[in-house]
Amino acid sequence: MPRRFVFTVIAWICFTGVCLGQTLTFPALTGRVVDEAGLLSPADRAALTVSLAALEATTTDQLVVVTLKSLQGRTIEDYGYQLGRHWKIGQKDKDSGVLLIVAVSERKVRIEVGYGLEGTLTDAETKLIIENLILPRFKIGDFAGGIKAGTAAIIQALGGAASGTVPGPPQAQGRGGPDTNAPVWPGIVLGLAGVGLLVFCSLTPGGGVCRLILQILFLMALSGRSGSSREKPPFSGGGGSFGGGGSSGSW
Amino acid sequence: MSASIALRSRTARIIFLFPLLSLFLTGCGFNNIPTYEEQAKAKWSDVLNQYQRRTDLIPNLVETVKGFAQQERSVLEAVTVARAQATSIKVDASTVSDPETFKKFQDAQAQLSGSLGRLLAISENYPDLKSNQNFLALQAQLEGTENRITVARHDYIEAVRQYNTELKTFPGRIWAMIFYTSNKPMEEFTIADSARTAPQVKF
Repeated sequence: MPRRFVFTVIAWICFTGVCLGQTLTFPALTGRVVDEAGLLSPADRAALTVSLAALEATTTDQLVVVTLKSLQGRTIEDYGYQLGRHWKIGQKDKDSGVLLIVAVSERKVRIEVGYGLEGTLTDAETKLIIENLILPRFKIGDFAGGIKAGTAAIIQALGGAASGTVPGPPQAQGRGGPDTNAPVWPGIVLGLAGVGLLVFCSLTPGGGVCRLILQILFLMALSGRSGSSREKPPFSGGGGSFGGGGSSGSW
Repeated sequence: MSASIALRSRTARIIFLFPLLSLFLTGCGFNNIPTYEEQAKAKWSDVLNQYQRRTDLIPNLVETVKGFAQQERSVLEAVTVARAQATSIKVDASTVSDPETFKKFQDAQAQLSGSLGRLLAISENYPDLKSNQNFLALQAQLEGTENRITVARHDYIEAVRQYNTELKTFPGRIWAMIFYTSNKPMEEFTIADSARTAPQVKF
């Protein structure tokens, strides 16, 4: 009995350890502007979304504006890169993502720069954008103004069009082309297994069972092909990663 | 006739078994140890890269501060000495499985972090320095580099944990015993002593 009790206690401790270790939760990526803290009006949100989509259409860089209610006890530097990695902002092979993060209750703002853009948008540049354009407006309570000015400056630094120009269709752009994330390996393995089975079947007498297996595999492959064409969400991260580039400020 | 069938089926069996064997080995984690080893080594180069970046920033920073706060000789010298000490330790990919050099490297970098922190702290007392554009840019770069070091170290620790776990648990342990006898567990960073806190940069 005591041994069982000890085991239960250990299991319980391990389980709570796992739970405690992963308390960091992230808001859903609902669009290019994720306004969890509710700092922006619907009109601001729409205007920002249009200019952010235009940026991706011209440079393929993904910039996402996010306002948070809480950093869940982490520093904004710690939270920021993990959020970027979680959302996979930026193109997969270029890591070309940027996040503008505003944490209201901690009074912190950060520009998180993906690996691939660290040369284009240097730490010093992001610091200047935060200090000169964002913080002065945040200090007088003009959150929407600060976010808009900061976003425009980041877009300019990334070489996107100025925020006034009208872009093409915002959602249709930049989403074309085949989905490179489609699983290729299972298909290859299945194909190899099929060929192997074919050889095996042709060399063994009485191939009734073999043929049956082959038929089942063929059917499975067909159903898998048709099932994989799903609807895409309006906006998603391109697979980019972050390594702590950028800078932060406080107001 | 029957002999030829037997022969044919034996070659067929070998042809059939060979890919099956490789699939079996892959499925049982035969490749995990070298894969994780390479991943951890790549993360280690990331760490070294970021520390190098910090080392490269320091001479410029020291020069800038010197222009405004020449009287802070001891602090400036401490940074220069700590930097020289950190660069004198030769580190490469093999350092990860060499506890002694790893500890030396870690201590030297911690020393450098400490003296850099003091340098930035005294710069608070010089308004001209604090508003100098060059200094501000350097400070932002240093801050970003410290942050990148934190991230790179975190990623390295994760990769090493995966690799070390693979070496010590089933079935990796068996592969390690038979095939990868020269593979040693890698060192992790310890974040125990208070000296290792990153310099707090205030604006």
